[in-house]
Amino acid sequence: MSTPVQIHATMPIAFTINGNPYSADVEPRRSLSDVIRDDVGLTGTHLGCEHGVCGACTILVDGAPARSCLMLAVQAEGADITTIEGLADGDTLHPIQQAMHEAHGFQCAFCAPGFLMSAVALLAENPSPTRDEIRQELSGNLCRCTGYETILNGVETAVALMAGSGAASAVDNLGAPE
Amino acid sequence: MKNPPFIYHRPESLDEALGLLAAHGNDAKVLAGGQSLLPTMALRLGPPEQLIDISHIPDLAKISVAPDHSVSIGALVRHAGAERSNDIARNAPLIHQAMPHVGHRAIRTRGTVVGSIAHADPAAEMPAVVLATGATMVAQSSAGTREIPAQNFFEGYLTTALRPDELLTEVRFPEWATTSGGAVVELSRRHGDFAMVGLACHIQISADNIEHAALAFFGVGPTPVRVSLVESQLIGQPPTADVFAAAAAAVSATLSPTADLHGSANYRKHLAGVLTVRGLTAAAAERIGAPA
Amino acid sequence: MSAQTSGLGFVGQSVKRVEDDRLLRGNGQYVADVSPEGVLHATFLRSPMAHARIASIDATEARRAKGVRAVFTGQDVVDASHPFPPFLMLPTMYTPLHWALSADKVRHQGDPVALIIAESRYLAEDAAELVEVDYEPLAPVANISQALRSDTEPLWDKADGNVMFDTYHDYGDIDAVFADADRVITERFSCQRQSNQPMETRGSVIEVDPDTGHLTVHNATQSSHMLRWLIAALAEKESMLSSVKGIIAQKERRKAFSAGIKAFMAKNKEEMAKQDNTGTVDQIKRDKATLLHLQRIGLGLLGMNDYPTVVAQDIGGGFGAKGSIAREDIALAVAAIELGQSVKWIEDRVENLTDGGQAREEDMTVALALDSDGTFRGLKVDLIMDQGAYPGFPVGAGFVTQIMKVMFPGAYKWEAFQQRSRIVCTNKGKYIPYRGPWANETWVRERIIDIAARTLNMSPTELRRKNMFGDEDMPAEMITGPTLDETMSTRKTLDHAVELMDLDAFETQRAAAAAEGRFLGIGFACYHEAAPGPPNFTDSINPGTGVLTAETARTVVEVDGSIKVITSQMPHGQSHETTYSQLAADELGVGLDDVTLIWGDTSRTPFSFIGTGGSRGGPMGGGAVRGSSREVRQQVVEKAAQMLEAAPADIEIVDGNIHVAGVPARGLGYAQVAAAAAADHGASDNEAFQAKCDYEGKGDGGWSCATHACVVEVDLETGMIDIPRYVVVEDCGPIINPAIVDGQVRGGVAQGIGAVLYENSAYDDDGNLQATTYMDYLIPTSMEIPHIEVHHLETLSAGGENDFRGVGEGGMIGSPAALTNAIEDALAPLGARVTEQYLPPTKILELAGIIAPD
Repeated sequence: MSTPVQIHATMPIAFTINGNPYSADVEPRRSLSDVIRDDVGLTGTHLGCEHGVCGACTILVDGAPARSCLMLAVQAEGADITTIEGLADGDTLHPIQQAMHEAHGFQCAFCAPGFLMSAVALLAENPSPTRDEIRQELSGNLCRCTGYETILNGVETAVALMAGSGAASAVDNLGAPE
Repeated sequence: MKNPPFIYHRPESLDEALGLLAAHGNDAKVLAGGQSLLPTMALRLGPPEQLIDISHIPDLAKISVAPDHSVSIGALVRHAGAERSNDIARNAPLIHQAMPHVGHRAIRTRGTVVGSIAHADPAAEMPAVVLATGATMVAQSSAGTREIPAQNFFEGYLTTALRPDELLTEVRFPEWATTSGGAVVELSRRHGDFAMVGLACHIQISADNIEHAALAFFGVGPTPVRVSLVESQLIGQPPTADVFAAAAAAVSATLSPTADLHGSANYRKHLAGVLTVRGLTAAAAERIGAPA
Repeated sequence: MSAQTSGLGFVGQSVKRVEDDRLLRGNGQYVADVSPEGVLHATFLRSPMAHARIASIDATEARRAKGVRAVFTGQDVVDASHPFPPFLMLPTMYTPLHWALSADKVRHQGDPVALIIAESRYLAEDAAELVEVDYEPLAPVANISQALRSDTEPLWDKADGNVMFDTYHDYGDIDAVFADADRVITERFSCQRQSNQPMETRGSVIEVDPDTGHLTVHNATQSSHMLRWLIAALAEKESMLSSVKGIIAQKERRKAFSAGIKAFMAKNKEEMAKQDNTGTVDQIKRDKATLLHLQRIGLGLLGMNDYPTVVAQDIGGGFGAKGSIAREDIALAVAAIELGQSVKWIEDRVENLTDGGQAREEDMTVALALDSDGTFRGLKVDLIMDQGAYPGFPVGAGFVTQIMKVMFPGAYKWEAFQQRSRIVCTNKGKYIPYRGPWANETWVRERIIDIAARTLNMSPTELRRKNMFGDEDMPAEMITGPTLDETMSTRKTLDHAVELMDLDAFETQRAAAAAEGRFLGIGFACYHEAAPGPPNFTDSINPGTGVLTAETARTVVEVDGSIKVITSQMPHGQSHETTYSQLAADELGVGLDDVTLIWGDTSRTPFSFIGTGGSRGGPMGGGAVRGSSREVRQQVVEKAAQMLEAAPADIEIVDGNIHVAGVPARGLGYAQVAAAAAADHGASDNEAFQAKCDYEGKGDGGWSCATHACVVEVDLETGMIDIPRYVVVEDCGPIINPAIVDGQVRGGVAQGIGAVLYENSAYDDDGNLQATTYMDYLIPTSMEIPHIEVHHLETLSAGGENDFRGVGEGGMIGSPAALTNAIEDALAPLGARVTEQYLPPTKILELAGIIAPD
């Protein structure tokens, strides 16, 4: 038998985020996005609408894309979560980040975290999508600045980078001092 | 837009969950994928007092095929899992045809097939698929199990035949006959939006004649609807363009959708006719193209 | 990723963005990411009714709720603050005074009536549900036609019903021209209400220093100085006595203020003399309280001890919405001051759709007088704008109607022009500038020209070309006043667009499609915009408004050689960090990464009225950056020349190596030269070299121009529109960063596509907003935006330097016109006439006669 968690009471949860274990006591009503931003302190995941349409809050849950505003934190029990902060390997950028930089992907970049995570999920399942497939897969993420052209270019660039290298780790940090 | 407070339950067994539903009834909502429930909570539209999270109940995530080739989908099967399932592809292909229209990938990661059916949004695909295939809803309560046929399940806007103490634990789709062809067609304002009008279409063709037709429209009223008048007119007819056009006209004349921000009533009536042709044509092509 | 080094010159290249590293890693600092220790969270209680009196409000239960620190009702805020004053008082205009929260009356769904401060946003929202408000409904004023009637409930006591502005402007002899012309073509157009909808909503975090009470305001604002000034003016209301005492005590401030005013007036004497004060007089006559509040605000500002600091770092888009000062910002400041504690408000999306900024709802009856050979003679416009319930600050509907007035004639020659400008108020969210706020002048003008072409059986592009200004006409003037020069290159963009679209090939394509029962259409739209425009541009809008337009930047070389550029611009997607770094790096001969841009912090940045907006970032902001960097370079070169015992003219700087030409091995670095300069004259504030540039624009011209052209296919079964080809030929002069320009154009076109096919801030007859979530306000996704071809012309002006002209707004100016022209062209065989901007599938099929309206 489980015990109900009363209003304003908390319950323990534990998950892994960007490879690090996290555990805390949280109110069941708190969204996963709020817990990630406010409790774990990773503010890279953004809130654009809080009702599951804009996609800015997209993270990976056990490798699959999910809208973190449409999850209660307690639903992430035992999950392996990846956010935008978990993409780079120390100084070394993930190919999708590198690619977006080269393709002038974003302008205000508020939507970028959601796009990056959606793109990572797409390429994990389909390493060589067509432009139409990319366009369709990313249609769940809204951008108001770019008209999407450069974001699609960025994903295509990432496809090339990831196919070409295998040495994804050879990608340098941006603007590193010489 | 932060969630209101509620009492949170995480039952560890089906019996426990059913006991909670018996105790709380109308004050409770079931949480599976949450993709329909959580936006309404964030908007504080009639939040539940009690939230019953069924995701930790074992054995609810199964997809199983019975000897009679019916396929059962458990309450915790995510849309993404259904998309990947070969059992569903073979035995309930209409579900697969609906999937590309269901939201976006991130929604399908979390949302459940059965949850969508229980939520019964009139513009959603799964309830119409249920209606078009004549699926059976298996509802369990602490009083026992009840099987509800599709035609009795959808009662009104966001309202099903489920009693407050019942949990929809599985939906069983009947055998998909070798003479069957299916299609799901819809039109939405943007890709991935709820349909303005949609059609889940299932026909059976044998010896060049339509033997069975189920046209389940969504987005045209408070529940998905089958247009039985038109369906019966199709029986015994060949699957030709003229026949489909006549069916389309009859559908437009019969349905009475309401207007909303996204489309007028006349527009929806018209669109239902257009989709009738598109749906029937695609379903017939699929059947005729299918290996014998 | 290799660092980008100088040598070829960064300006003109698509250099990659300096800001990307932190943004792509998720290390941006947007306002929602700011969380001071112990900060309290705010939510607003908002009216569910469109129009009602507040009979009573009881926050007792709410104040007792868990975690609640305070509840401020409307009256609490009215008592503690000044109302928003009118900013631009045009003749016949009435601007009602209003406070940050509403106390006696609510005037739109979402009107804020209480502010709840609690330990978390969750708890604040819980408590908000416990505030009891007794509303007495009033008849709603739901649309323009209701607002024009004299028997509808007035929103504002001192207004003339619900008409807030009504004025005519005439150029040339309009009656004579209309009488003389062969034909007059008339049509009435209406544009739906739209919303800016940046992906980041508005927000404010106000930190209060526990010892001094100093406010530091983190805000997603396009204009940090304006926000600072307004919080100081409105939220720090003191008694008259303490204001006067403060003024006496603040002797230094008083002196500085007077000196500042004197300098301002001396500099702008001519401008100020042009100002017509009848508007101010009208306003004060109608509402004497205006003068009283302005005086009190002035005294308060003079006597104030300490103005707040405003800081804005990363901003998630604005498109004009974040240039307005929000009522919520002022209410939050009142709360912070009263509580002495830091408070945070992040707007949610429902709030943003409700009152985060709406625009474009205009009703325009147009008459075009022309001769049978297609010569344009005269243009008449009767414009009615629906400004919603509350006036925007600082730029509201009135100013926009006057920009429209100036730009309506477009790139064409006219003998006469007349515009009647009316503004009505209704029970809706407020009207604020939205990217190219005047854009409906292009929409309507380009539509009526197409209609005229069809009526006269002339080619739409030839009819345009025939009447357009060209180089051979220059210098010239628009009929509404602004000077034109060769930067007004619209005709060149039209010619190039026509070439690209290959009209003959298109007609073949169209015929083939028609044979298959498919409907294709082609549409063009031509315009020019002031970016920043000639010196007399603002005068044409309203005499004397030119006082607002200087732009400042400062370049600094610190004692250790590091280079900072400090701008009053506020990047929120325009990539100023990169483009300004390009400009400065080229002037100073250093690498892109050697320049750090500083913006958004009022304690470090120079004053600017407008901040970022009005397409000023490139030309004005860029001009100031270049000017100040050039001056610093000169100082550095002189010092280095002294150190190297050479003449300044012989010094070169390449990749940060400051050397005598031809002797790079014996060069100096910035660090060495800076250290030497600091040793000479001491370095205040760690600055070895610095220069400030107040840039007021160049001589003549400063126009950006474009032609948009597109092909559409209309599906007559579904009413859906496909856009197989979209072309922009734009000319914004020399380009600092082509990739960034392309991005701005495409983003603007995407918003135009949204405007025509998807977006509608619709209200029902009871004043209920229908599109309160993203399920109903439809932002186009990647599936709805086609590939957009962008072609650049780079016309130089005779003035030479600092030719960069603005481009941020243009994409949105041309697109609704090009699209609706193409759609009407496709449906022309069916006799359709497109008079609305919003064309969802239902409307398309109604226009095509396939379905009847319900």
